Amino acid sequence: MNEQDKEHQSVTDFKQFFPSAALVGAIFGVISFVIGLYFGYQQINSEPTGSLFSPMLFSGVVICLLTSFAGLVAVWHFTKEVTSELSMGQGAALGFLAGAVVAVVSVLLNEVWVTLVDPEYTEKMIESSIAAIEIMDLPESAKDDMIDAMSESIEQGATFGRQLFIGIPVNGLLNLITALIGVKIFADKKESF
Amino acid sequence: MRHPVLYLFILVALGLLVAASLGGGPWGAGSTLQHWTGELFRGICHQNPLRSYSVNGVQMAVNTRCFGVFSGLLAGWLMIPVMIRIKPGKSVIVGILLFAVLLQIIDFSGNLFELWSNTNHSRFLAGTLPGIAAVLFISELFIQPDPKLHEQ
Repeated sequence: MNEQDKEHQSVTDFKQFFPSAALVGAIFGVISFVIGLYFGYQQINSEPTGSLFSPMLFSGVVICLLTSFAGLVAVWHFTKEVTSELSMGQGAALGFLAGAVVAVVSVLLNEVWVTLVDPEYTEKMIESSIAAIEIMDLPESAKDDMIDAMSESIEQGATFGRQLFIGIPVNGLLNLITALIGVKIFADKKESF
Repeated sequence: MRHPVLYLFILVALGLLVAASLGGGPWGAGSTLQHWTGELFRGICHQNPLRSYSVNGVQMAVNTRCFGVFSGLLAGWLMIPVMIRIKPGKSVIVGILLFAVLLQIIDFSGNLFELWSNTNHSRFLAGTLPGIAAVLFISELFIQPDPKLHEQ
């Protein structure tokens, strides 16, 4: 295969992958946004208890676990809708792409929510989290550290590009791994000798 | 081994993931949560200092369970060249994976319903196993197919 063929192959791969990555990534992005919002408002509307098991702790665990499986589902969708023949490298690329779409969609929806729907959401969220941290059984220095980090995140939260720059690599890598699990389960591997 | 470039790429990426999860301590930062490493994992981990290890006296960027999962993924990835030589049976790998997932659920639920209190070490171990098991599950993909079998 010469250079031109290789380039053509990767463009074709991308065109084939993108619908699965975009569809599954968008669905997982919306789910992750809705779960985050649900637990966010639960945190805002609840009295601080000082317990380690706050709604936001659940939110983090659930979102992290759930969004990691976008890669696996994207591979399943691709093998079902396009072709069941998928190499490991293609599966890895599809998984990374799906993870990137999850990050983009959830950050975008969050941005729309705090800009158009509830501009005070972030502020209320921070106030509630600070109230929860203040009555936690933690050393004062740790409390101050967490509160300072939250205050800083308000200032940086407005930077859309920064959130993406941070969200895409970790999300992409975790989804790449689950996509490889998807290749193992759902795909007929292309043999290369 | 098949796909050596992909193997090395993911090995480096997992190495960087584990290195970043160590937090600001190795970088000489006074605090992790305000360091780029803390920011990197803010969306996926609660970063509670009571549930995190520390490096050089500074809290790590992820809690012990997440650190366990990341370390497990890296350890499992390093074991792939050995695993493709040993070729453990599918039932063994699936058994390890199910045990790891079950252990994670039992550990989390037991603590949640106050049946027992887990510790940083137990959370780390409960996180490490699924990480290793997930990688072992896909290790078969790196086995070079036998050309003789292919010709038949």
